[in-house]
Amino acid sequence: MLRKLLFRNQDRKQLIIAVIGAFMGITFLITSIHYLIRVSEFGEGEEILGPNTIIVQKEVSNSSVLNITRTDFSKSEIEKIKSEPFILDVKPVVANNFAVSFQTDDELVPYFRSDVFIQTVDEEFLDIKTTNWGWKEGDTLVPIIMPRDFLVMLNTFMSAKGIPQVSDDLAMDINFKFTLESKDKSKKEWVNAKIVGFTNAVAAILVPETFMTYGNDKFSDGSEQKITQIMISGKESEFGLVEELLEKRGLESKDSQMVIGRLKSMIGTLFLVVLGISVIAVFVSGLVLIQYLQLLMSKNAYEVRTLLRIGYHPNDIIRKFFIYFIRIFGVVAGLGLLMFFTFKYFLDDMFESGGLYIETGITIGSIGSLVLAYLLFILASYLTAKKGIFKEY
Amino acid sequence: MNITLANIMPQPLASIQHGSESIWGNNVELKSGNRIMLNASSGKGKSTFTTTIFGLRRDYSGELLYDGQDISKLTPSDWTEIRKSKISVVFQDLQLFPKLSVRENLLLKNRLTDTYTETELKAFLEKLEIDNKWEQQCGLLSMGQQQRVAIIRAMAQPYAWLIMDEPFSHLDVENANRCLEIIHQRTIEQEAGFVLTSLGSDHGYSFDQELKL
Repeated sequence: MLRKLLFRNQDRKQLIIAVIGAFMGITFLITSIHYLIRVSEFGEGEEILGPNTIIVQKEVSNSSVLNITRTDFSKSEIEKIKSEPFILDVKPVVANNFAVSFQTDDELVPYFRSDVFIQTVDEEFLDIKTTNWGWKEGDTLVPIIMPRDFLVMLNTFMSAKGIPQVSDDLAMDINFKFTLESKDKSKKEWVNAKIVGFTNAVAAILVPETFMTYGNDKFSDGSEQKITQIMISGKESEFGLVEELLEKRGLESKDSQMVIGRLKSMIGTLFLVVLGISVIAVFVSGLVLIQYLQLLMSKNAYEVRTLLRIGYHPNDIIRKFFIYFIRIFGVVAGLGLLMFFTFKYFLDDMFESGGLYIETGITIGSIGSLVLAYLLFILASYLTAKKGIFKEY
Repeated sequence: MNITLANIMPQPLASIQHGSESIWGNNVELKSGNRIMLNASSGKGKSTFTTTIFGLRRDYSGELLYDGQDISKLTPSDWTEIRKSKISVVFQDLQLFPKLSVRENLLLKNRLTDTYTETELKAFLEKLEIDNKWEQQCGLLSMGQQQRVAIIRAMAQPYAWLIMDEPFSHLDVENANRCLEIIHQRTIEQEAGFVLTSLGSDHGYSFDQELKL
């Protein structure tokens, strides 16, 4: 009866428009947040380097071959790159300044030996547990991160020898050995090595910084250590600016790294735009719904006033309006969620067909955004209803 | 419940000269269980009295007390309780819901305290000869019929005071007397009191007290 009394004076057209607006806003809000999260996660965990991190070097030109221009980085150049607002961090990639060879040291694997090039990068850039990544003088085993190309080469070698090829996990069980030697061959030392991870981003074997320092201190001939590669960590969704910087400064990186960064940046920006529009849509439709609530209360001012006079508690009437509107928004949220699942079904399929293998599980962020929007609407409805009812008190 | 008006002076009436017998600007006590007539000509503040005593107006000086408690200190919950079970009012403009039926108007009030059954409410209507209007929209009734519905609605709750602002203004003598008889009976049953504002007629009823404005 109370419901009949209070909700009789309604202009359904305005309500329907507000509901459609809120429904569309909610659908795109959940969808955009979900895919923003999923796209930003894309590629994480597969690469040992942190997200949005690339290794760059100066492009080698004819003038650099003739020693007219430098191919190494000075400290001021590094600082300049670091000062760009879209750059999170820049660190030099330190290489060995002594002779290193790498060999298998396992009965199960045929003997294989090669002169190699080792590098070290700051631990902050590595997506690896620090407990697995450390070395101090006296340790007999040094952890290494192997370029994936090296494993391909090793498998080619194994295949040629008629031995079964090894997987990533098996490769991590093989014992290897480094031979460190000074250039004048006066000092020599052997250290066991174990693979703890693989990377596509670096062409050299990565070792802990302490091991590199030890080798360079002990076996280097004292010549100046040049920094020819640096690691750059760019901000999420601003990879285009990183690319621009590289071009401006004549720097280059591995294409695969750039492509992923560019792709993530592009899709991320697209969903960010959709997210922005969705937030505005949800906000505006929420405002229209709240305005509709105000209108409904002002149309029912006489009824509300009379109910209060005959003994109804203000809270009873507030509850009626409040519950009515949280039900409406509940239906909107439910329909929005349903539409999101429909979109997701098709979008996941589209991404997969396009070669973008993103996680298909539901993100907490997208559901969280729906809950947050719902809670904000509940709060706004309650406060509006309370204000409107007490105005008639 | 005693109601005390201690030097109450509503702002709109402050500029008018009031006599020594007037309730405005003097100390007046409405003693529990009394049946009171408030007699005054138009524009003297009968409706102001009703709305002030019912806590709907706060634009007055002085103090209004229910059993010694200043009503300006009452909370919304206190007022709800008072309007639900202590003071009932028949407003001059009736304040019915015109789009709801007689039945709905009465039940909307009655369900707050479950004072009567639907049969009992219908019996009241029958006494006042409007039982055939049970399902009719209130807005379609004549003013006299609406007044009778408003009187029955006011009685569909327990009360210590029933305040009626010219409740019989559109009723013939016979219907006014029937209403007064029902009101008298109900008020006596509850050991309550009532205030009836009137333009001069005492409707042949013997009041305990007469107030002037």
